[in-house]
Amino acid sequence: MTFKRYMKAGAMLAVAALGLTACGGDTATTPSPEAPADTTTAPAPVDETTPAEETTPADEPAGEAVQIDYLHRLPDGEGMVPVSEIVQRWNDENPNIQVTATKFDGEAQEMITKLETDVNANNAPCLAQLGYAEVPDMFVKGLVEDVTEEARKYEGDFGGAFGQMAVGDTIVGLPQDSGPLVYLYNATEFENLGIEVPTDSASFIEAAKTAAAEGKYIASFTPDEATYWLSGQAAGAGATWYSAENDQWVVNTTGEETQAVAALWQELLDAEAVATHDRWGDAYGAAMVDGTLIGNIAAAWETGFALDGLDGTEYEGQWRVAQMPAINGSEMTGPNGGSGVAVMKGCEHPAEAMEFNAWFNTQVDDLAQQGLVPAATAPASTPEKMSRQFGGQDVMAELVTANERMSTDFGYIPGFPAVGGEMQTAAAAAANGSGKVADIFEAAQAASIAALEDAGLPVAQS
Amino acid sequence: MSSPSVSAEPKRRKWSRQARHQAISGWAFALPFFLAFCLVFVAPILSAIRSSVFTMKASGGGLFGGGEMEEVFVGLENFQTVATNGAFWSGIGRVFLFGIVQIPIMIGVALLLALLIDSFLVRRPGIWRLSYFLPYAIPGLVAAIVWGYLYIPEVSPFADMLPEIQGSPFFLSPPIVLWSMANMTTWTFTGYNMLIFLAALQAIPGDLYEAARIDGASGWKITTQIKIPMVGSAALLAVLLSIIGTVQLFNEPTVVSTLATWMPKDYTPMMMAYNTMMGLLTPSGAGMASAISILMALIAGSLAVLYFLAQRRLQK
Repeated sequence: MTFKRYMKAGAMLAVAALGLTACGGDTATTPSPEAPADTTTAPAPVDETTPAEETTPADEPAGEAVQIDYLHRLPDGEGMVPVSEIVQRWNDENPNIQVTATKFDGEAQEMITKLETDVNANNAPCLAQLGYAEVPDMFVKGLVEDVTEEARKYEGDFGGAFGQMAVGDTIVGLPQDSGPLVYLYNATEFENLGIEVPTDSASFIEAAKTAAAEGKYIASFTPDEATYWLSGQAAGAGATWYSAENDQWVVNTTGEETQAVAALWQELLDAEAVATHDRWGDAYGAAMVDGTLIGNIAAAWETGFALDGLDGTEYEGQWRVAQMPAINGSEMTGPNGGSGVAVMKGCEHPAEAMEFNAWFNTQVDDLAQQGLVPAATAPASTPEKMSRQFGGQDVMAELVTANERMSTDFGYIPGFPAVGGEMQTAAAAAANGSGKVADIFEAAQAASIAALEDAGLPVAQS
Repeated sequence: MSSPSVSAEPKRRKWSRQARHQAISGWAFALPFFLAFCLVFVAPILSAIRSSVFTMKASGGGLFGGGEMEEVFVGLENFQTVATNGAFWSGIGRVFLFGIVQIPIMIGVALLLALLIDSFLVRRPGIWRLSYFLPYAIPGLVAAIVWGYLYIPEVSPFADMLPEIQGSPFFLSPPIVLWSMANMTTWTFTGYNMLIFLAALQAIPGDLYEAARIDGASGWKITTQIKIPMVGSAALLAVLLSIIGTVQLFNEPTVVSTLATWMPKDYTPMMMAYNTMMGLLTPSGAGMASAISILMALIAGSLAVLYFLAQRRLQK
């Protein structure tokens, strides 16, 4: 047990270390956004780890294979079908379109900065994984290609997430996975406590109080995950934070629907009926292992790994997935994460890149193995590991239901990553009682307007 | 170099073949250095200065700026924005507080250790020297991770005995975290500073001690009257390096902020510069990040000059 804990802490710190080392590499290439673009040389490989065997000069004579580079952040964990293997299958079947996949080890935001530098230096990969919330930002910065025409051909293969790769009327890629918020809980513990799976705010609060009286928590308010976790809940409650009016942005992160989310968590925090462990800290996993944390609202993709720490404990196989409780009486859920694969500016073969993109993102079973909830409409089967950890439940079916309930009105603004930092700081204050949950959304309002103005985009003054 | 130039004194206008030859080979030898220096030092600085007076603005109009951005010359506006940003000065305040407390402690301990190793009290000084220096040889990140283990109650052997403060584990709580980081820095750099002192101590000519002993000076007198005054210039160097290092405080807070998520993204000025570059703070972008970096460089430079002048005045 303690060994596992050490392993987890180690993994977390290693991620932190990777983040730092990656930054060390970046700073050398930093500032000038107008780095001289030497168009005469062939595009350099994404980085030195690109296999040498498949690199041929880009100015190859006609008839030779088209080279596509693809940069991703998929986990490639143990027991998963590695991305390289999926890509190899494509390469074997499509001698004319050869794809080289490279995994980026580092944080999402660092990959964005890398892509920005690479596009400006004309050696960006053709395809790259982008979080949905990052897509508008990348588009505004002129880093993605308009592939609307190509994308329309494949629209039928994808569900509602297709729209997440669109910026206004322009489509820049295809969706890969989606992260609707769902509710994870330990069914056995719930039964022992005599509580039902909460279906709305009122029953959520009631169940939390009952469990807390017994020293158990059916949720944890997670400040470090506040950005998408809370905005996703607001979306589920029916809020639309960002909309357009007369070609100007209207920011409303403090509307009635969002206030319902604030009120819910404020009451739970005031009653000390929920834990306040950071999602990615050690305390969260430890609380699951010692049995005090028996549920939480979580992104669908967390089902791929959230229960790993419980393998071999008495709680193995006791957890289940359910729909997120209805907040504000809304039957919807909201997005927490999810990514697509976009075509980067300067890609020489966008049509071929999109052909691979569409194929790759419809390999639903392989993607499910990677712990994703595929955005493609083809049904994915629940991987064996997931089935074991969730006591034989058909997890994928439940997640597909969640996907169908997802709010389609909730989009993000360019510069949203900067809004997140302000929300997290305010959320940490709310968690320790020095602030209120409503302050988080006030902070989001101010930060959103500041981010839009900083990018030089029109904001409606209210 | 000097002797041929003396012989060439009378006909100064024309270089002798030998002098020219020497000049050419001298410059040829220095060339790789200058090339590398320009490439990795001068060029990035110039590029940062250029970048700091520009900003990227959406140009195409509409909600998404038409997917185009253009570089706009803004003069010193970025600097003005940074200088009027309260978060920037709070960051400076934290770093300043850190330095005022941590540097004297670290330098004091380093001097003490160096004096002990230099004295005849310690057997096998080589082992001690190496073991004190060892933390510096461990990469800063690894050190930060090791200390991270000791600060998180879930894995630390002692952190869970201490109370939580404001809902955070003791070592990661708002009033304490700065000192948790100071502790990491002290652990890493004390041995390094000790080596600076030790080198200075061992450069003191032995006949000074001999003369002092003949005059009847005790070991204590020799330490306070000879050794400590003689390492003054080493202390100057050590403190200067520490001031600059403190201004650039980045590794420790960045690792610690993954454990203490309440920490704002602009906790120290260098973190602010990095997160501005990464688009995690508003205003964001390379221009603003460069402005922060340049401003910090200026502040670090002026602090170093101020300290140097103060030190000189004191020594007179």
